[in-house]
Amino acid sequence: MYQQQKRATPFGVLRYGLVLVVLLWTTFPIAWMIITSFKPADDVMRMPPVFVFKPTFDNYVYAIEKANFALFIRNTVFVAVASTVLVIALGTLAAYSFARYNTGEGHILFFILTTKMFPAIAVVLPYFIIFREIGKTSVGQALAVGLDRPGALIISYTMFNLPFAIWLLVSFFQDISRELEDSARLDGYSRLQVLAKVVFPLATPGIAVTAVFCLIFSWNEFLFAYILTRDAARTITVGVESFFTLRGILWGPVAAAATISVLPMIIFVLLLQRYMVRGLTFGAVRG
Amino acid sequence: MASITLENLVKHYGAVEAVRGISFQVEDGEFLAILGPSGCGKSSTMRMIAGLEETSDGGIYYDDKLVNAVRARDRNVAMAFETYALYPTLTVYENIAFPLRSAKWKSERVDEKVREISHTMELTDLLDRMPGELSGGQAQRIGLARALVREPAVFLLDEPISHLDTRQRHRMRQFIRHLHLELQYTMIYVTHDQEEAMAMADRIVVMHEGLIRQIGTPDEVFNDPADDFVAGFVGEPPINFLEGSLVQSNGTLSLRFRGHLIPLPESLQSRGDSLPSEIKMGIRPFYVNLRLDPDEPYDLAGEVFVVETLQDFCIVSIDVDDERLQVVAPLSARVQRRERVHLKLDPEFMRFFDLQTGKAVGLG
Repeated sequence: MYQQQKRATPFGVLRYGLVLVVLLWTTFPIAWMIITSFKPADDVMRMPPVFVFKPTFDNYVYAIEKANFALFIRNTVFVAVASTVLVIALGTLAAYSFARYNTGEGHILFFILTTKMFPAIAVVLPYFIIFREIGKTSVGQALAVGLDRPGALIISYTMFNLPFAIWLLVSFFQDISRELEDSARLDGYSRLQVLAKVVFPLATPGIAVTAVFCLIFSWNEFLFAYILTRDAARTITVGVESFFTLRGILWGPVAAAATISVLPMIIFVLLLQRYMVRGLTFGAVRG
Repeated sequence: MASITLENLVKHYGAVEAVRGISFQVEDGEFLAILGPSGCGKSSTMRMIAGLEETSDGGIYYDDKLVNAVRARDRNVAMAFETYALYPTLTVYENIAFPLRSAKWKSERVDEKVREISHTMELTDLLDRMPGELSGGQAQRIGLARALVREPAVFLLDEPISHLDTRQRHRMRQFIRHLHLELQYTMIYVTHDQEEAMAMADRIVVMHEGLIRQIGTPDEVFNDPADDFVAGFVGEPPINFLEGSLVQSNGTLSLRFRGHLIPLPESLQSRGDSLPSEIKMGIRPFYVNLRLDPDEPYDLAGEVFVVETLQDFCIVSIDVDDERLQVVAPLSARVQRRERVHLKLDPEFMRFFDLQTGKAVGLG
């Protein structure tokens, strides 16, 4: 049996009207950025704006050749992935400990949360000095930690993402029944085996969501990358800024570079969207 | 299989004393129930027996071996949990095989064993399902199958059927009892439901506030409760308590309850000296008889508060002064709300407790 088609009610019209407004609001800047990236130099600044033009790849070629964008992408991928791996490795173990053993009786957990309460700009100068000094030591040299070295960014991003990751993961671990772990322990498994065979498989959606958020944050981060790197360790977001030249802003290459930097994350999130929503509601839907 | 002995077992959680020094023994092949209200320490006791919780003091012995320091996974204990604790990411088959995988069994032997236990537990049709697709009764049968698949020394059950509906609960009760008779495992069953304990166990340990109140067969716990707590906790509808003082009148020793004099049973008449003067009498609702004929002798008089009609009998609540008593009466009694009735207590089933200490008095 087919449901009768719904009539258009005033409320329905209003609802879809609002959805349309929000949709335009959010997608127009991105669309504008992508359109601009394909415009020839003459059309970029034309007023009123033109929507019909001869598309060109000049801006992309310019961005990649002039600004060494291949290196920026490599740096960004390396820093983002490395810091995410570190955050997940440390964060899952810490969060499990907080969730299961109530380590520190909430005080340590709260302390960790407080490190998120000050703005990044407050710590960026101390970081600059710390990394400059570490960079001069042999340890800093060996571990690639120092100014304009990827290690400095990896450590900074790990520091900044870890509290958020722990905070998110604790609730995922709390949702896993203690009896499941008890049962596995009685079934002949060691604590570490229980963690690997029972707890982590169940926490996978939560860990995946956390990892995605960390990755996105690290990918998009600007301030630390701007202050702590110059050339060799420069990342995409800062790379975009390199077209703000003394002669003026090169909007075409800026749009091309911005498109390159945004695209991987958009594709990534679209692919994982369903998984992420499931992960975020993980605790709520379990019976 | 093994016998289990607890010696002065104590468990603290910080300043909270959950278990305050308890001792008992479970014989090899016995079905023992630990019964008590929530927070009485029964689950802590079981978790210590399993090795999931460390002991604060005292000893746990499997046969003659002290196991306090033995890890849970090395004790060869199986446990069925209140929430079933099935691994949601594994199929029913893999859930049952899970304990065998840890012991690194060959897959042919695992398969053989899983099929064998599934047959016993009537699960053969469910092996390919995921835990999310099962009813509560099925889930707990799988929980039991997983516990039993590796032939444990001791089988612990922690409120395994309290989440099931009444009908399934009854079926599982029979099934667990059947399993015990069939397999002869040493079983310890924790529950807050006195009916479960009474129906299944060989012996019952009644716990309250971290202490053991009584250890005995279901019959002993029901008919000869060691104190007023046990008397009040066991039995449905609950026992009636009448508090009063002992008096001698016309050569008969009686309990004075409000304005009524209730003669003590024959066996206690000569033992007035050994009884405390302030006393609490307990009598189960089955042994309080309604007297509709006003000329017959009676012990108490009261007014019917409400009548609950069950299938083949009814429970009548009667207000005697300000005390509300429960009486089990045949359907033929046909009493009405607010009707005045007379009650006769069966002296053979009167039980007496010291009003101060709560301990049973006048036994044997």
